[in-house]
Amino acid sequence: MISKVAAIAWREFSSTVLTKAFLIGAFLIPMLAALAIPLIVKFTNEAKAPELTGRIAIVDRSGAVLPGVEQRLSEEGIATIIAESSSMVQQQLAEQLGDNADKWREQLDNPMVAAAIAQGFGPTPVLTVEGQPVDADIDGLRERLKPMEGESADALVGLAVIAADAVQRAPDAEAFGGYELFIRAKTDDRHIDLIRRGLRDAVLEARYAVAGVDAGEVEALTTVAAPRTKEITDKGDAREATTAFNMMLPFVFMILLIMSVMVGGQYLLTTTIEEKSSRVVEVLLSAVSPMQLMTGKILGQMGVGVVMLAVYAGVGVATLIAFAKSDLISAEKLVYLGIYFVLAYFIFASFMAAIGSAVNELREAQSLQTPVMLTVMLPYFFWLPITRDPNSTLSFVLSMVPPMSPFAMVVRIASTEPPPFWQIALSMAITAAFALGCIWFAAKVFRVGLLMFGKPPNFKTLVRWVRMA
Amino acid sequence: MDGVTKTFGEKVAVREMHMAVPEGALYGFIGPNGAGKTTTIRMIMSILFPDAGRLSVLGKASAVESKDRIGYLPEERGVYKKMKVGAFLKLMGKLKGAAGPELEKKVKDWLERVDLGDCYKKRCDELSKGMQQKVQFIAAVLHEPDLLIFDEPFSGLDPVNMRLLRDLFLEQHRAGRTVIFSTHVMHQAEQLCDHLVMINKGDKVLDASLDEIRDQYDPRTILFSPVDPAGAESVASLPGVESVEPSEGGFEVSLRNGTEPAALMQQILQQTPVSKIELRRPTLEDVFIDIVTRDAAHEADEASLRAALRAGAAEGAPA
Repeated sequence: MISKVAAIAWREFSSTVLTKAFLIGAFLIPMLAALAIPLIVKFTNEAKAPELTGRIAIVDRSGAVLPGVEQRLSEEGIATIIAESSSMVQQQLAEQLGDNADKWREQLDNPMVAAAIAQGFGPTPVLTVEGQPVDADIDGLRERLKPMEGESADALVGLAVIAADAVQRAPDAEAFGGYELFIRAKTDDRHIDLIRRGLRDAVLEARYAVAGVDAGEVEALTTVAAPRTKEITDKGDAREATTAFNMMLPFVFMILLIMSVMVGGQYLLTTTIEEKSSRVVEVLLSAVSPMQLMTGKILGQMGVGVVMLAVYAGVGVATLIAFAKSDLISAEKLVYLGIYFVLAYFIFASFMAAIGSAVNELREAQSLQTPVMLTVMLPYFFWLPITRDPNSTLSFVLSMVPPMSPFAMVVRIASTEPPPFWQIALSMAITAAFALGCIWFAAKVFRVGLLMFGKPPNFKTLVRWVRMA
Repeated sequence: MDGVTKTFGEKVAVREMHMAVPEGALYGFIGPNGAGKTTTIRMIMSILFPDAGRLSVLGKASAVESKDRIGYLPEERGVYKKMKVGAFLKLMGKLKGAAGPELEKKVKDWLERVDLGDCYKKRCDELSKGMQQKVQFIAAVLHEPDLLIFDEPFSGLDPVNMRLLRDLFLEQHRAGRTVIFSTHVMHQAEQLCDHLVMINKGDKVLDASLDEIRDQYDPRTILFSPVDPAGAESVASLPGVESVEPSEGGFEVSLRNGTEPAALMQQILQQTPVSKIELRRPTLEDVFIDIVTRDAAHEADEASLRAALRAGAAEGAPA
């Protein structure tokens, strides 16, 4: 009895998991993608960065900016801009890491890290600034920007036309003037950014000089120190308010749950239809009862879901530990995730088994499957409101009403404001009762459906079968 | 089976079937396509459940409790396409409760016996239909069941394999196992069974041993063509002769009850020289047609029935 169910479950599991298609689809492709992303980033930063060497013409109609531009677009000037930007990136990284930044400080200050960040700006462009008279022929200069065959000493890589009122406002005007920048086609966007930065700084410097203010003073005036937001929990602890990590965790939990439930359920549907259409089912039914067959199949595919869940949750926990955020997750939360996986899986698998037994081929399953799939997709629309306010009425109701409840509750549990235990217990009880109902329904449909061939049924037919069995 | 009935929607597939198959018997279910044979077998197997009536299999209330002691070859053959033959048979063995270390050896031995020795590691979808059917046969007998049920076991087999399967079949019967099989090809049943159950349109129309059928439908008719037509008259006066009627190419002699046909034929020969004399032996087909059309008395029915049976016979050509 048990051994028969086990034999079916093992066949179901091994024929699904121990195939190349599954191993490739479930693990190899995501792994390759994970490996490929840093590689792609590396390639886009390094391989594609062309060097930029050449002359940039400046038509300074304001008559006050050119020296500044010359200084800032010189080799040292550009190096300074890159250094400033790098330290800003470092600071942002440190902010993202929050309280854990101290642990990472050493790594962040590491010259290797600085070098890596600097690398992101591409090779330093070597520019020669060519000052042009105020009444220079713009069209002629633009002509020299056109990409040409071979290198011409006359060619330009850029042309900036600084407006006459860029430094001193025109009478009655509210805003200052700016500058126009023309650039040779196919110039790397990072180089354009550097040139714009240099031009901007030069213009600002000129304006400060005219206004008679100190540049350092302006920066001090416009910078407001904003330490990270802390929220006070019911225990009175000050804790960092919702960060990207805190928002992501519930989402990751939900995705894990949806994915592992769907994978097992989808395979269950496919194998059931295969058994039916290849007529193996009658041979199987001569050895086991429909209930044993269904139980074995559901348990076998549950194993598939467990494998997926274990591997991906393992990777997730490892990531959190690597980012020193392991305090976000607890064994308790993982246990809840496991329990809700089982409940959600049983609900979903019941429907898949019922549908698989009722139809003759995969194509016919589509229409019956759609409402089931939609129910599983619904949490996608709700995770944000639930994460923002995990204890709102909406969150509470969603986490109590099956078949949404496992997904909604998992989001709430993973949030920074987990629900009280009684709510979890209540939701589990309701969901478990619902799951039992689903299994009962599926068992009835399964028994009748397996040997029914012919017209593809609709939900009405399924209900009729339930009454019949 | 006791008053077993099964309906699918409006259609009555099996109507108030009463039947008992003794242990060790070789029973054949015959009848045209759609007669209710497969439904009856599925009910015996507890794959379908009757709407009314009671069933008992191997002393248990249903086959559910004794599935491990039954071997079943369904009409619709099915194998896991992607599974290796060996793995499939081992799975079936396990599901039938024949686990154990000797299972693998048994599977290999059986494959050897049906000329599929090299298929152990092949995938099921690499096999031809006939080969798959032999694999299915092994799946049915692997766990040495007490009761074997084969639904249309010979359909789609070439003559060589049909003979191979028939021999294995009889071997199982000789080993003392109860064997039930169904076929719509009458002469196969005639060759194999010692007991026949005829089913037509969900009704059991005949349930008797082959000998009983022969007795019951004993040839009461002798056909003969006298060299001299006048000789027919002298035959009419012989004791035991009911009547002599001219028929196609000769005369038909109806016998009185209790007359020994062999003795009478000898007497006829003494009376008059004949160019041809024969005992009209009813085939199962005749018996079947006779039973089915007796009540209905529709000539058209008979013609169509014969056509249906012939079509079936042509499909499962004799070995």
